Amino acid sequence: MSVSPTVGATPGDDLTMAKRRRRLFSLGGWELSLLVLLIIVTTSFGLGVPGFFDNLSGFLAMTSNFLPFGIVALGLSLVIFTGGIDLSVGATASLAAVVAAQLWATMGLNIWVASLLGLAMGGLLGGINAAVIVLLRIEPLIATLATSFIYTSAAVAVAGDSPPSGFPDAFNNMGSGAMAWGSFQFPYQLLIFIPLAVLFWLLVTRSAFGRKLVTVGYNSEAARYSGIRVPRVLAAAYVISGMMAALAGLVLSAYYSAARADMGDVLLLTTIAMVVLGGVSIFGGEGRMGGVIVAVLLLGLLRQGMLIAGFSDMVTSMLTGAILIGSIAIRNIFSTRVGGFGKRLLALIRRPAIAGPDATRHDAP
Amino acid sequence: MIQLSREPVAQALLGARGIAKRFGPVEVLRGIDLELRPGRILTLMGENGAGKSTMFRILAGQLQPSAGELTLNGESLRLASPHAAHAHGIHLVPQEPLLLPELTVAETMFLGRLPMTGAIFRHVDWKDVRRRAQAVLRMLDLDIDIDSCAKTLSLAQLQLVECAKALLHDCRIILFDEPTSPLTSHEVDNLFVIMRRLAADGCTLSFISHRTEEVLEISDDIAVLRDGRLVDSAERGSFDRARLLSTMVGRTLRDIPRRESSYVTEQTVLEVDGLASEPSFRRIGFQLRRGEILGLAGLVGAGRTEIAETIFGVRRPTAGSVRLAGETVTSKPCHDLIRKGLVYVPEDRARHGAVLSMTIAQNVTSGLLERVRQSAGLLSDADETRLGATAVRDFRVRCAGLDQPLRELSGGNQQKVVFSKWIATGPKVAILDEPTRGVDVGSKEEIYELIEAMARDGMAVLVISSETEELVRLCDRVLSLYEGELVAELTGDQINPAAVSASYLGSAHAEGAP
Repeated sequence: MSVSPTVGATPGDDLTMAKRRRRLFSLGGWELSLLVLLIIVTTSFGLGVPGFFDNLSGFLAMTSNFLPFGIVALGLSLVIFTGGIDLSVGATASLAAVVAAQLWATMGLNIWVASLLGLAMGGLLGGINAAVIVLLRIEPLIATLATSFIYTSAAVAVAGDSPPSGFPDAFNNMGSGAMAWGSFQFPYQLLIFIPLAVLFWLLVTRSAFGRKLVTVGYNSEAARYSGIRVPRVLAAAYVISGMMAALAGLVLSAYYSAARADMGDVLLLTTIAMVVLGGVSIFGGEGRMGGVIVAVLLLGLLRQGMLIAGFSDMVTSMLTGAILIGSIAIRNIFSTRVGGFGKRLLALIRRPAIAGPDATRHDAP
Repeated sequence: MIQLSREPVAQALLGARGIAKRFGPVEVLRGIDLELRPGRILTLMGENGAGKSTMFRILAGQLQPSAGELTLNGESLRLASPHAAHAHGIHLVPQEPLLLPELTVAETMFLGRLPMTGAIFRHVDWKDVRRRAQAVLRMLDLDIDIDSCAKTLSLAQLQLVECAKALLHDCRIILFDEPTSPLTSHEVDNLFVIMRRLAADGCTLSFISHRTEEVLEISDDIAVLRDGRLVDSAERGSFDRARLLSTMVGRTLRDIPRRESSYVTEQTVLEVDGLASEPSFRRIGFQLRRGEILGLAGLVGAGRTEIAETIFGVRRPTAGSVRLAGETVTSKPCHDLIRKGLVYVPEDRARHGAVLSMTIAQNVTSGLLERVRQSAGLLSDADETRLGATAVRDFRVRCAGLDQPLRELSGGNQQKVVFSKWIATGPKVAILDEPTRGVDVGSKEEIYELIEAMARDGMAVLVISSETEELVRLCDRVLSLYEGELVAELTGDQINPAAVSASYLGSAHAEGAP
């Protein structure tokens, strides 16, 4: 169907086509700033802290200490893109891992089959979250807080007095092992994380599902009036978040070669920090997946570097908090709404030359 | 007459000279002169959007005029805030004055100005509060318990409490923003008794109404606004119903270009039968044919948007049926209806119509993402660019580029993007709710041409509009709605401004007459 009013000149195509960027791996100003920060942090630790970068294999091996956080962050960011939150990721990780471990320990299931069932368990737990939120209309914050209590207790109950441990080496390798080519070693965790990161990046920026996710996050009413099935999109986000949490739980139990019921507790707060630092707005819609991935590496490597340099965990945590406040404050000051972070930063530097993009803005009355 | 105040009456004469107000490029008031005199009731009349409420909000300090000045007893007056207006004795009674439902009547009346007592331990003098609240209610002969909760009162009672509140704080100028439309005729009578008494006591009163009969009954002076201008003002005596209606509508004198060609066919695509969604509307039935532009006229709150939302499946019907191209689609969810060819352009663009933070291209494709070509599950950037560029070109959207956030466009261009989003899905039926809301005058005609083009292409279009001129300009047929029911159907030459306005205002007067 073509409706073409007949009066007046059509604006030049060059105008309308202007600068459609390839968005495949595009980074906005915020993500670029994070990337620069990541390079600075890595380089200065590499130069200043002995043991941080002795060789590439050793450097890569460090990532095994924080990539479970990254895996959770990927799933959690989908939920935060919708404007929701999933506080049950830690509990989900523990419960799914403990269930998988018990299936292996008590029922004699193959560890990989048990792991797949653990992943499904994570999806199921995410589905319960979604059901509570969508069907019972309970705020995501409260819904997932409540289910996190339930899941944690369930994990403790399933784990019993002596949590299962002593998994087969092949399984343990997933958490702490590395693939070797001669003297070069590439951790399995990184082998899991990299494809997932690419997948999520594409999912959010390029797929129809990602577009719906972001639309719901910006304005769920408008999404509904546009024919997007909002409950379905939300359910998918929570189910995926649950599965990612479960995967992180499995990787953690491989890392420790034991599945403990409190294993996932550490995941939650750091992961939220990663997603928020990555530039995803807690109110939904705004943000890019690329930022989250860079933020995972930034916070993870920063922590590792600090620990190697001899700072205590306490100092590292404090610094994480300070970075979070500082970065979000900077972001808010250079509000991304008009012109983007980079442009605003430039505008500030070359102040007199800038009339400001606001001059041409028309707000809807 | 009962003397309401303890002291000799301080009289207040509120004047407005050359008041103008613009919101961005939109002029809502131009050069308004008014005089509110003590002991008299001045009525502001006008159609939806004539600028009555804006004028009141300026008089009450809620808005600052863009030009012109206010005077009080001849002296220039600047009202920086509602608080300042109150300090000068100006009180605005809102149409639905339920602010804090948990407060008692006495607390409501003293809100923000509780009398304090005690030398060392300062505390609220509740005794004084109760005594004075009681006294003023008794003065007005109002039978309302000062200890009852605000939420237990009816709207009519709340309005009367607001009157009492005005007196309590020595406000001698009381403005009523369309007080009667939510009231029953008995409640209207009660309100008028109180208003007359206040006027007799020397208060300066003004109120807004649509209802000609009650305006003629209560007013001493009448001022008629149209399109932000004061078109007529005189003492009540020189007005009759005919003069009121014709000045309000005004356009009998001016010819509105009607469409020359009609694209109506015999093929019915939308049938609505006995549709109801209580309490908003009931017994709504009509048919919409291919190529037809059907208008839905009525006052704000008559249930027009609710009808549209019910047909579109985002509001539950309580009775009746909807058939789209012969298929029953009653209470089907909107994502189904969109695929079946029914689309809805909502009234509130920012909330329902579009995602202003997303780009033009993303908004264009948001209606039916499946249309964008995909490879390996990924949306094709090139294809989206093509769709976006086509929309921008065909609908002549003025923008800097497809990646510009919709928020940065003017209202008219935003609306064109929303139109393009739906038309690209190839609908059979389009429901347009206030299609030119927030659209600058220049772009209105472009939107009208778009709507005509939709009909020409064989769409059935339902236009909801509060602008009579718009309905006259566009529609093959107009249905009039009053308080949730269809009251008139206009066709052919009947579709002129006077007849369209009278079709629902006339009902208003019939109902509103005490």
